[in-house]
Amino acid sequence: MQKINRNVVLALLSLTSLVFLLFQLCYYKLYLSQKNGAAFSKVRGGQPGQDSTRWHVVRKFLGLLSSHNIPVYLIDPLILGLVDKDLEQIRSSSDGPSPECKYFCAPRDFTTFALLDKTWKHEVGLFRTAEKMGFQWLKIINKDPRLDGMDDLSGMEIPLHYIFKLASHAIHLVVFYERSGNYLWHGALRLKQHMDRKFVPFRRLHFGRYPGAYEKPELLLVSIDDLKVQIPKNPSSFLEEMSHSRFLECRYREARAFFQLYPDDASPDSVEFRKKAKSLLHLAALTLNNLGVKFWLSSGTCLGWYRQCNVIPHSKDVDLGIFIRDYKADIIPAFQKAGLPLKHKFGKVEDSLELSFQGDDVKLDIFFFYEEDDHIWNGGTQAKSGKKFKYLFPKFTLCWTEFVELKVHVPCETLQYVEANYGPEWKVPLKTWDWKSSPSNVQDNGVWPVDEWDDVIQIY
Amino acid sequence: MEEWKPNPAVKPHKKRSWYLAWKYKLMNQRALRKLCQTGAVLFLLVTVIVNIKLILDTRRAAYEEEEESAQDYDDEMLNVEAPRHPINNKKVLDVEVYSSRSKVYVAVDGTTVLEDEAREQGRGIHVIVLNQATGHVMAKRVFDTYSPHEDEAMVLFLNMIARGRILIFTIKDEGSFHLKETAKNVLKSLGSQVAPFLSWRDMWTFVGKKGGEVYGEKHAKSPALSTWGDPVLLKTEVHLTSVEDAECHWPDTELNRRRKRFCSKVEGYGSVCSCKDPTPIEFNPDPLKDNKVFDVPVAVIAGNRPNYLYRMLRSLLSAQGVNPQMVTVFIDGYYEEPMDVVELFGLSGIQHTPISIKNARVSQHYKASLTATFNLFPDAKFAVVLEEDLDISVDFFSFLSQSIHLLEEDESLYCISAWNDQGYEHTAEDPSLLYRVETMPGLGWVLRKSLYKDELEPKWPTPEKLWDWDMWMRMPEQRKGRECIIPDISRSYHFGIVGLNMNGYFHEAYFKKHKFNTVPNVQLKNVESLRKDAYETEIHRLLGEAEVLDHSKNPCEDSFVPDTEGRVYVMFIRMEQEADFTTWTQLAKCLHIWDLDVRGNHKGLWRLFRKKNHFLVVGVPASPYSSKKPSSVTPIYMEPPAKEEGAVAVPAVAAAEQT
Repeated sequence: MQKINRNVVLALLSLTSLVFLLFQLCYYKLYLSQKNGAAFSKVRGGQPGQDSTRWHVVRKFLGLLSSHNIPVYLIDPLILGLVDKDLEQIRSSSDGPSPECKYFCAPRDFTTFALLDKTWKHEVGLFRTAEKMGFQWLKIINKDPRLDGMDDLSGMEIPLHYIFKLASHAIHLVVFYERSGNYLWHGALRLKQHMDRKFVPFRRLHFGRYPGAYEKPELLLVSIDDLKVQIPKNPSSFLEEMSHSRFLECRYREARAFFQLYPDDASPDSVEFRKKAKSLLHLAALTLNNLGVKFWLSSGTCLGWYRQCNVIPHSKDVDLGIFIRDYKADIIPAFQKAGLPLKHKFGKVEDSLELSFQGDDVKLDIFFFYEEDDHIWNGGTQAKSGKKFKYLFPKFTLCWTEFVELKVHVPCETLQYVEANYGPEWKVPLKTWDWKSSPSNVQDNGVWPVDEWDDVIQIY
Repeated sequence: MEEWKPNPAVKPHKKRSWYLAWKYKLMNQRALRKLCQTGAVLFLLVTVIVNIKLILDTRRAAYEEEEESAQDYDDEMLNVEAPRHPINNKKVLDVEVYSSRSKVYVAVDGTTVLEDEAREQGRGIHVIVLNQATGHVMAKRVFDTYSPHEDEAMVLFLNMIARGRILIFTIKDEGSFHLKETAKNVLKSLGSQVAPFLSWRDMWTFVGKKGGEVYGEKHAKSPALSTWGDPVLLKTEVHLTSVEDAECHWPDTELNRRRKRFCSKVEGYGSVCSCKDPTPIEFNPDPLKDNKVFDVPVAVIAGNRPNYLYRMLRSLLSAQGVNPQMVTVFIDGYYEEPMDVVELFGLSGIQHTPISIKNARVSQHYKASLTATFNLFPDAKFAVVLEEDLDISVDFFSFLSQSIHLLEEDESLYCISAWNDQGYEHTAEDPSLLYRVETMPGLGWVLRKSLYKDELEPKWPTPEKLWDWDMWMRMPEQRKGRECIIPDISRSYHFGIVGLNMNGYFHEAYFKKHKFNTVPNVQLKNVESLRKDAYETEIHRLLGEAEVLDHSKNPCEDSFVPDTEGRVYVMFIRMEQEADFTTWTQLAKCLHIWDLDVRGNHKGLWRLFRKKNHFLVVGVPASPYSSKKPSSVTPIYMEPPAKEEGAVAVPAVAAAEQT
């Protein structure tokens, strides 16, 4: 009896084991196919059916839009990347049929297009036709950020993204809006509760994780894989722009709360100062952008943006930051040409460089930032004593934002940046500020050797 | 056990015996066997455990991924939309209507849809219109039929209501004094038995379907002139119809879908909701050739006067050269009905939750609207600002298109306005003529973005200042000597009566007889001469050719101006310094033009028409044009009637509030 039992147990165990093994195999396969659909389709790349599906979906979609006179342009990073390699050839090639489907058949889940909001009228007809053609579509709407800065305005929600799905391929249509500061903006893709979050694998979309800011692109009409489509004239610079396009909205709600606590100063002096600071900032941005030098709002100007979405009227100057690796010798002459004479120059390119230009009553300070392994710093110099100071910041990356009708960079990690500079009490406005002692991240950094003074302390 | 083996007879047992032999052999090596068995069991157990673990792992990984993707793309503001309860399932509505001297209320299915117990307010007949399929309130009105003409308004309103709607009437205080026969007959035709006999201070409630059954009526007669009838409370049931029956069957187009949505929500807009031949809601006016204002945003400033807004938007969308995509309606408050009107016309609307009171609220609403306009249209250099109580002339955009370049090029200009404060039926004549004036008229005007962004927005009066935005804009600190361009014949018409700043008498006296251009495509004359210096040359030329009127006559008399046409006349009045408007005000008063404050002047000169002649008034010696006065002429001086000062002061306040 015992023997039989033992045998039965053994047999049972083997059976379970076998079942488990099978189950595991099935499960694993299922899991793999779910996760790496792209990888699998790459394997299946050779099958013509799969490839031409993508091409057909794109063709249908382009046909749909052109029948409604809606101009879109291609911003799909994958295809633009391929196109960029053969740009010359594509540009010069005539309309003759292309031998192979090289771009629109490339394996991918989505094709991404951009639509300028002001070029269409939100007709409902488009979606009816789309449905007739067999597309399933999803519209993602949200609040209009252009009204966000306003007290208590509630407009209609605006469409930010559309997704058109047909067969196994989906088209992601990103809606771009023009904003004050002469740039284009697209919103983040956020699903509302009732939405179908399995409609497409949203995580793999190239646009929509964050809002983005772009220059208005110049477009080029080309024929790719026998499809006429508009693309950015310079795909590689568009792709470059795309990689740093993350946009931060000003914290309007917090700014309103701040003004509740500390009412805004609307005296003629501060109105005048803000006006001048704004025009100085516009001029500085123009000059630096022309040189191709990346800059961001720093110190008081950054605090003004972060805390109150405006220039702090008692701040007396405009502060910008530039990474020392972006330093160019033409910066000084370019500013002088723009009508901003150099006021002082402290430090040198190797150490603690700081430039000051004199605007119309308002000073423009440019601080150069030096990157270390675990922090970033900029330097300060006291003219009369030759003392050096060092201001330490945690590492940061740059994001776009809108400030006084200008698209500018700010540190993405703004809170850490502002707190490093102004301490945890940054929310409380201070009228007196000593740049040598007030900042909470200031460190003494020795004294310039006297023989270098002529070079590192230049005052005009 | 060897003896088992040579037993070949039992064939079927052969295999078994082999198995047994094997088993036996194993059994012989007991220790080994045991070890193998345990090993196998252990191995199997381990496999099972590993399997289970793997399954759990992959599951968790997959789940996490899903979770992550969902989190990334979830709206942080989880807008939990409260599910709307469809009340369609219910077939019967309980309606309660109360009428008394000091209070009225109406409750539908337990929800109070009207309650008015304010003192000195809401007198007359309250009317509520319900949708016969859903029971939603579609319109709410009160007609003070104690006062004259209100009954006519009520008849007009009742006639506009679609057949089949449910009407609820109740009287507060008094509703019969000026309820004329016509109105009583209309009520009778709705099925009321009491209406024809309604009399002084009776209380009355009535519920009925337009063109159909009566659900209930109650009446309490006033026993004596000095007392009111007893309060009456009517409780009744209303049977709902199906949604299909309550709707019209228009062809299914995008426009009609908008119309359907609108018409199932609100009532009182007349033929737009007629089942047969409804009024169009898309107008497609002729486009303007070379339209310079096609891309200029239009901000319509509105409050809660949806009927006005409806009229205003109709006229705006009918104007030649309008670009509906550039129109945004800014509604001061979270009102539904104005928004319904905006959506009916397919425009975009923005609601502004009020933050301060009365005039300051209007002022803050203006600021928010202007800022939002320039945010929404960052490319725009200008914005057209309109109000909800304006009719827009058919050539409004043509007028702006021809003149807007001046605003861009001439720094001495403050605005272009469609309104001439002095352009009355009897004082305006030439649709192609423009003026420069020092006062900002508003009422349909164009604002330059740079002016707003650089000057006005940063110092816009804060809510606690309680200032009128337009009075503030007219202050010298803001205007800085700049002028506005206006047409002789206004391109807008102010039809608003009931507003924050208006009363009936005031409107009658100052706005009703305003001239309004109805001619399309007017080619403006001599636009270039409106530039700062050119205008001076033009004025000097005009004064040079003008005939000096007989200053011994009374300027108020009609005979002061000869019975000619198309001539230019000039008169001189006394004006000691720049701010001395004593004589002008008296003259304006007797000419029946705007006299509540000084409007329409340019360096002490006023230009208007009398008897179809251009009529210039020069203030001497303050005006630089005084030099044109012949030495023989003594400027006319008119004294203000001293006693009426108090009476004048009252409308002066009203004037200050005119927008």
